[in-house]
Amino acid sequence: MSAQSPAPDQLARFNVSPARRRKDKIARNTILAGTLLALIPLALIVYYLLLKGLGSWSLSFFTTDPTGNTFFKSSSIGGIKSAILGTVEIVALASAIAVPIGVGVAVWLVEYGKSSWFAQMVRFFVDVLTGVPSIVFGLFIYIVLVVGTGSSFAGYKGSLALSLLMLPVVIRSAEVILMLIPGALRESALALGAPRWRVIFSVVLPTALPGMVTGVLLAIARAAGETAPLLFTAAATNKTNFNLGQFMNSLPVQIYSDVTSPTTAVVNRAWGAALTLVVMILLLNLIARLIARRSRLA
Amino acid sequence: METASVPGGDRSILERSPLARLPDRALKYSLTVLAGLILALIVYFFIRLVGEARPAFSHSGVFGFAFDNNWNPSAERFGALPLVVGTLITSGLALLIGVPVAVATAVYVTELSPRRVRAPITILIELLAAVPSVVYGLWGIFFLAPKLQPAEQWVADRLSFIPFIGGGLVTIPNYFITGLILAIMILPIVSAISREVMATVPSDHKEAALGLGATRWEMIRIAVLPYCRSGIVGGAMLGLGRAIGETIAVTILIGDSQKLGSHLFGQGYSLAAVIANEFGEAQGLHRSALFAAGLVLFVLTLLVNGVARLLVQRASHANRPETTAKDRAEGGPMSIAGATGI
Amino acid sequence: MITNKIGALAGVVLLALGLAACGSSSSSTSSSSSASTTSSSSGSTTISGAGSTFAAPVYEQWASSLSPLTVNYQAVGSGAGITSLESKTVDFGASDPPLKPADETAIAKNGSPAVQIPMFLGAITVSYNLPGVKTGLKLDGKTIADIYLGTVKTWNDPEIKALNPGVSLPSTAITVIHRSDSSGTTSGFTSFLAAVDPEFKSKVGEGKEVPWPTGTGAKGNAGVAGAVQQTTGAVGYVEQAYALQHNFTYASVKNKAGQFVAPTLTSTSAAAQGVKVPANLGIKISNPDGAASYPITSQTFIVVNEDLCKAGLSESAAKGVVQFIDYGLGQGQSILSQADYAALPASILAKSKTAAAGLQCNGSSLGG
Repeated sequence: MSAQSPAPDQLARFNVSPARRRKDKIARNTILAGTLLALIPLALIVYYLLLKGLGSWSLSFFTTDPTGNTFFKSSSIGGIKSAILGTVEIVALASAIAVPIGVGVAVWLVEYGKSSWFAQMVRFFVDVLTGVPSIVFGLFIYIVLVVGTGSSFAGYKGSLALSLLMLPVVIRSAEVILMLIPGALRESALALGAPRWRVIFSVVLPTALPGMVTGVLLAIARAAGETAPLLFTAAATNKTNFNLGQFMNSLPVQIYSDVTSPTTAVVNRAWGAALTLVVMILLLNLIARLIARRSRLA
Repeated sequence: METASVPGGDRSILERSPLARLPDRALKYSLTVLAGLILALIVYFFIRLVGEARPAFSHSGVFGFAFDNNWNPSAERFGALPLVVGTLITSGLALLIGVPVAVATAVYVTELSPRRVRAPITILIELLAAVPSVVYGLWGIFFLAPKLQPAEQWVADRLSFIPFIGGGLVTIPNYFITGLILAIMILPIVSAISREVMATVPSDHKEAALGLGATRWEMIRIAVLPYCRSGIVGGAMLGLGRAIGETIAVTILIGDSQKLGSHLFGQGYSLAAVIANEFGEAQGLHRSALFAAGLVLFVLTLLVNGVARLLVQRASHANRPETTAKDRAEGGPMSIAGATGI
Repeated sequence: MITNKIGALAGVVLLALGLAACGSSSSSTSSSSSASTTSSSSGSTTISGAGSTFAAPVYEQWASSLSPLTVNYQAVGSGAGITSLESKTVDFGASDPPLKPADETAIAKNGSPAVQIPMFLGAITVSYNLPGVKTGLKLDGKTIADIYLGTVKTWNDPEIKALNPGVSLPSTAITVIHRSDSSGTTSGFTSFLAAVDPEFKSKVGEGKEVPWPTGTGAKGNAGVAGAVQQTTGAVGYVEQAYALQHNFTYASVKNKAGQFVAPTLTSTSAAAQGVKVPANLGIKISNPDGAASYPITSQTFIVVNEDLCKAGLSESAAKGVVQFIDYGLGQGQSILSQADYAALPASILAKSKTAAAGLQCNGSSLGG
């Protein structure tokens, strides 16, 4: 809870010089302007997405698979069902891999590794991983698990590529949050006789939870919106399938291939899919925040 | 620190039985192994890519590859300099534009805004993260870039005496628009982390500053920002990573220029974009060169991260006497600066 | 600290394992038996293919008419498609350029020779955005090359005027658009220009990506098309299907026989008629003969091993691949025109069909 700062006329009573008052005002306004600046592109993008994508939305849009029929004007081109389900499956698996591992490594870094040479090495390499282009993760999996083993494209391979993408973000952001927990909190729990593991699970992690949820959600949002890692790993297919060992469709890949089509209806489908993806991630965000708020220790 | 030492007392009541210590040990060792596994995975990743890149390096030489100013796969000339510079320019722009705006939003939300506005603004900023990268690219090239082109041309004409910024024809795909869109893309992560960090500033720090008569802005400048410095840098590093590694949006927005782009509002190229553009059709030596480009990217990220860490370390060392006193009080910043190794 | 040592030990052990695996997997690309996602459950077979982006819409379209056969096709690019076929990741590959000898050898390692089957054709239009100038502006190879070299800078340049007497051309500057990504379209376009203009050949050359001396790069066909539509005075090379579907204005290009030909489906098919067909069917259409031929035309292939089962496919998958190819060469050809793609001329179609009939499964013929 932050203290109330004195209003400008009160500042005069405290003998704050006009120069300082002016600086304060300028700074506040600049910050406000910066915030508004950040919101402008959002408004523009949302407007653009709604403009181009809302028209494609209909019940059948969400409940039918793309038919693969792209150029016969009379027949239906289908909807995006398999893409939606595919994204959910692939991203869910990727998160199930990346989040526990990422949080585990972050906990290790903060609680045990600290500033040892080994921890520095881990941090160093995780840092390097943050800068890898998303396509290279896909290519790595492509070389190791697709071409290297002579086996087919598969949904879980796309998940692996995405989890590699998510890992450094989860580790880094979780580490930053865990760092911020005052040592005093840990020490008082320990002083009460709690074993280390208890301190971590009952004190540290719950306190860090809301912050970590933010980082994790951002990682998931990024993964859900990435095309490049999936192109050479999960590939795409039109039919819905629940087998992650097969080609699997996904929204970003569907958008990417549809948006370059010469057929206008297919391009519109791409924008409808883009709008769908944004809405899905937004919903995920809201739901996760609600849960985090509920489970937060007072 | 599992047992406290009680002077003169019977220590045995505080010791834990070996069985009770087991979960602790198990956790410690399993997490350590996990960290080791992740390290090994990343190193394997690196090694594998070096293996794929090797033919290209033996063809052009390592320095030749990195510093030759000519990327011409059809002629089997692989010089990645234009790509490296393009990546640096666009990521630099993204940070330059994105980080101040992101920090401003974080400051606004945590310190200046009315309470009711906080949650909506936070969600709106994070909505930016929900937009897929391909949509950013398309929105950029079909909507924003044409709209900004007249303004860009005006700037280029007015500032033509400044090398690199001025003069020359403004193309629709160019360095500037790429950097701008990247800045928008990194806003959510930098803002979110800055916000989280700022929310944990102890209120007595802030109240102390205010109590001494500081204005709001002065309080932020004295009590909030220094405390959050390393956290903000951590967020900025993540943003930078995103900017350097962004593939699809950059590919759409940067155009294509096999030699070093000559000005800000002209086309360029970037390491991630070249991989995305050419991998599908590449075979043999060309493919290997693309992996080599990926490796150059790692080295780049490494260098930039290293420089950032050095800078923050310098800054926190400069403040050392204060931090020691503060951290004795509540174990705060020292653990951030020290343990993060930033 | 002991945690460091344990962590380091775990890391080293895994590193060693990883290196060992790395070493062995790079030499065992052809040792795994089952390649594809073939599942036949009560009559529904799934086959997989990867490659050319140009051919993707057509293959998707053909596939949608073939259920219960499921065809999963991924447009990863011709190069990656061939690599995927070589490593038995997919059942068939798709490539726009004909196979290089090195590729043929690599594919043959899977137990039988590589077979490339021409499937259909596409043309590359020279589309422009010039209000007031209708479609059909006459251009020849040299002029187009000069535009792309940057020596012809405005639309009312004498070179263009000479070819179009009676057409009033504005003095608008020409904005040149080319592809930023590697593509077969660039390859087809530049090989035409290199064939007709020695200066272009020496300064720029031909290939999937070339060092363009001038112009703006846009990603993908859609990118070039969009850029042309956005900029008055722009010129760009756009795939025929795209240009026809969106009613672009495009040039009539002079062919080898001296005729100015518009890129219609008929003139595209005619272009392939005069092409010399090598034994391995690896045709490459480049500035073809024939008065009715549109000169900037390209082809696309499906590539498989001659003996599919030896290459690792199951019998039902092999049958599925042949079914797909047969459909494409049969009914598939007639629906191409509805999407503004060009069918193979009769002479080449016959050769493709023969090649398809020669496909085998463990020695026994599959073709029918």
